[in-house]
Amino acid sequence: MNFPVWDVTFGAGLLIALVAILHVFVSHFAVGGGLFLVLTERRARRSGDQPLLGWLKFHTKFFVLVTVVFGAVSGVGIWFTIGLINPTATSNLIHAFVWGWGIEWVFFFIEITAALLYLYGWDKLDPKLHEWYGWIYFGAAYASLVIINGIITFMLTPGAWVTNHRFWSGFFNPTYFPSLATRTLICLALAGVYALITASVQKDRALRARIVRWSAWWIVPSLALMPAAIWWYILRVPADLWTSARGAIPVATHAVMLGGILFLVLLALAVFALLQPRRMHLAFALVVAIVALGAMGSFEFVREGIRKPYTIANYLYDNSVYAKAMPRDGGFNVDQIDQQGVLNTAKWIDVRKLDPADQVAVGHEIFRVECQSCHTTNAYRGLKKLITFRHWDQNEIQLMLGRLNLMHNGVMPPFSGTDDERAALAAYLSTVAPVVPSQAAGPLDGHAVFVRNCAVCHRVRPQDPLFLYLPKDPQTAVDALKSLPMLFPLMPDLKLSEEERIALVDWVNTQRGVAGAGAGGAKGGAQ
Amino acid sequence: MIQPSLIPNVDPNPLPAPYWVFELLLLVTFVLHIFAVNFVMGGGVLALTAKLGFRKQEKGGRIFFDVAKLLPILLPAAITLGVAPLLFVQVLYGQFFYTSTIVMAWPWLLVLACLVVAYYGFYYVSYRGKRHPGKAGIVMLVSVALIVLIGFVFSNNLTLSQTPSRWGAKYFADPTGWNLNLSDPTLIPRYLHFFTAAVAFGGLLLVLIALSKWERDREYARHVFQFGGKAFLYATMAQFLVGIWFLFSLPLDLRTLFLGGSLLATLLLAIGLAAAIGAMFVMARALRQEKIRLGAYAAPGLVALTILCMATMRDVLRDAYLVRLFNPQQLAVRTQWSVFPLFLVIFVAGVALWFVMLKRYGIFAGAKVPH
Ligand code: HEC
Ligand code: HEC
Repeated sequence: MNFPVWDVTFGAGLLIALVAILHVFVSHFAVGGGLFLVLTERRARRSGDQPLLGWLKFHTKFFVLVTVVFGAVSGVGIWFTIGLINPTATSNLIHAFVWGWGIEWVFFFIEITAALLYLYGWDKLDPKLHEWYGWIYFGAAYASLVIINGIITFMLTPGAWVTNHRFWSGFFNPTYFPSLATRTLICLALAGVYALITASVQKDRALRARIVRWSAWWIVPSLALMPAAIWWYILRVPADLWTSARGAIPVATHAVMLGGILFLVLLALAVFALLQPRRMHLAFALVVAIVALGAMGSFEFVREGIRKPYTIANYLYDNSVYAKAMPRDGGFNVDQIDQQGVLNTAKWIDVRKLDPADQVAVGHEIFRVECQSCHTTNAYRGLKKLITFRHWDQNEIQLMLGRLNLMHNGVMPPFSGTDDERAALAAYLSTVAPVVPSQAAGPLDGHAVFVRNCAVCHRVRPQDPLFLYLPKDPQTAVDALKSLPMLFPLMPDLKLSEEERIALVDWVNTQRGVAGAGAGGAKGGAQ
Repeated sequence: MIQPSLIPNVDPNPLPAPYWVFELLLLVTFVLHIFAVNFVMGGGVLALTAKLGFRKQEKGGRIFFDVAKLLPILLPAAITLGVAPLLFVQVLYGQFFYTSTIVMAWPWLLVLACLVVAYYGFYYVSYRGKRHPGKAGIVMLVSVALIVLIGFVFSNNLTLSQTPSRWGAKYFADPTGWNLNLSDPTLIPRYLHFFTAAVAFGGLLLVLIALSKWERDREYARHVFQFGGKAFLYATMAQFLVGIWFLFSLPLDLRTLFLGGSLLATLLLAIGLAAAIGAMFVMARALRQEKIRLGAYAAPGLVALTILCMATMRDVLRDAYLVRLFNPQQLAVRTQWSVFPLFLVIFVAGVALWFVMLKRYGIFAGAKVPH
């Protein structure tokens, strides 16, 4: 609103995720790999293992080519990307934490210099001095993790900062330490994962087996400890943030499952490498790396998922609207936009007057400034598909838009704006996803009624309020459903037909095993 | 027409230190960054010129590789030194900077893809080039072309960020971010001004390379010195024309600032020009008398003065562009005393450690540049 919204056709969220995942996969290696280099060098020198030293020299080159080149550029890439997609959040973060970033930059500078001197110094420096550069490298790299971790965790759990705006309150926030522990373990594990790659191309079998076993020793214990660190992390995430993640957001739930599975696969592969180091092969090493990338990617998706609807929890929504009014916020907060309207608040809107003829065009602009940070029309989290699935017509869309913040346990910010603007947005969305008449002409299916009208907020499980509190007596329930707001004031005022209500009650009662179900002849039962 | 309504508000967080602190940091780190960038770009251009220009002589190839092996060090220097001004420009000018980048989002983002490719190209030439000289030339050409392109995108963004009146039309015509700022009359001269400076810097880089070979291989070093020194001279001469073009492409009110309108701006221009002319005389004399040290110390010293003046003028120009839209006095400030001093301490310690690292490596003791 304050800034223009970059229309990324395939999905802004997806773009950030891509850049971020590639970057973290390399940048964590840059930290752990540094420790790996010095410790391996020491080990090789102590035992006079010349072949190991030879490999390590080669591995250093690989390390520099991956971390100093790709790692550094993709790090700038994250900066560029968040500035493009989330300028308001970036601007807030910069002003709150520029000194943190400044400190990180000093470490970054030392880190890059040390990496290059370590690489070029292999043949030139005496061993002690060479190792000294290695230690400086690792120290600086870890220090930059220590700093950046404060800023990343801040976004999820800003803690007391939201009220006192103090640097250190935001920095040492509730998830700071568990996240640091988790990331440290990730760094160590990745050092081993990458080492498998260069190890696997060694011709000397005995050497290869030695390196593989040594690398696997970096992976297995780190992975074994990781669940504990992650558990600690989970415990420190405030409950209100969790509820949105526990809901039916398919993306996050799938990512949790995928992440868990990939994690176990990774562990199994690493244990195999530990037990059978001689069987290491480049293809195997690459599979390990890809699985690790997938696991990390899933966890990043989960973290993003938990944080929704916020970019900075309890402070700034993903669509750059502030959660509460505060001084100097430019009026970009939910309450003020509700009063003044989007069209009078947003700067980057072309068509500002709401003529009935322009309704769809205006709706499109509102979509851009309020929804496009998370949605597209046709691609990633595309509304065409989502709305078509629910069979909503324009009126239903408009009613539902009034309650976006309740859907899926609160993954979305509320719609902010006037009722006319909401109508315009609904008009636009109904052109994106025109109603498809449902082909089933037979008796109404209660489950279908539920999916269409209730499932965005309610889930099929006994403890859901719908199943708990809908009156058990079929007739009472059917009558009660005439007005949803009477049941609970925040529910949208959807008008269900008599048949729909009967079918729905029938199905609900079947689900919760209440006697008298099935009388309506609904197909119920199936989820 | 200026559309003030499109210019974003600054976010609610106050500046965590006074304005001038960031202005100073921005200026200093930008100057360092642009030094490194100029060396990379100009060095690359001259390396290619040497390879093509002296094709029949072995010297051309040698110059090519002598520059090429420095590029994998100079480029990360340019990148790391670039991160700092990127940070500080966002602190002070975020509302202009983010907006123009969003308007031209794709070219801006693709800069990084170009950078990665160019970077690996430099490594390829440096590691494998001698074994495949033909391929090395092509890879180098691609890498240097990409670097030249990146500079062009940066110039586009910079000019666009200072002219908010151009934003609206571009954005609303194409919100997907496929824009540049080609219609700005200052764009081409501004970019050429920078490009020409880079070539001059490439010349200085060669003079420095000549210095490092002076005792061991006089004949070759002499050749490199002449080539680099002349490149510097010709580029700097051309710069006078380009600079005048740039100056006259500026809107009248901004141009007059440098021609007497503002004492500071005029003084900076005068000193910058004088230093550049001085550098040319020094270099010409050094070449004639084969005084490498004169060319390798005095000329770059004067050029550094010029760059400092020019970079400050660049700031003056930016503030003049934005004068009605941006007033630093209006920024809220609340210095973060709990962390700002820590930054200063770490910064000083970091610089000290950095020098110790180079010293222990032996770089100041005349050791070969690492390779
Ligand atoms: C914080 C990010 C975010 C913002 C901003 C956002 N949404 Fe969503 N929205 C989501 C997520 C996450 C889902 C669940 C998506 C899924 O199932 O893949 C969702 C789902 C939906 C659904 C489908 C619900 C269902 O299950 O059928 C609709 C409709 C919707 N959003 C509309 C909007 C509209 C309109 C706006 C703008 C006013 C908006 N959203 C803004 C994140 C967001
Ligand atoms: C936009 C979100 C939304 C939609 C759509 C929605 N509900 Fe609700 N509903 C809620 C919320 C929020 C509550 C209160 C939950 C709580 O108490 O934790 C609620 C509560 C209820 C309750 C319990 C009321 C009580 O006595 O406490 C029933 C019954 C119910 N809903 C039925 C339905 C049915 C049937 C539908 C579909 C026709 C539906 N809801 C659609 C959000 C929604």
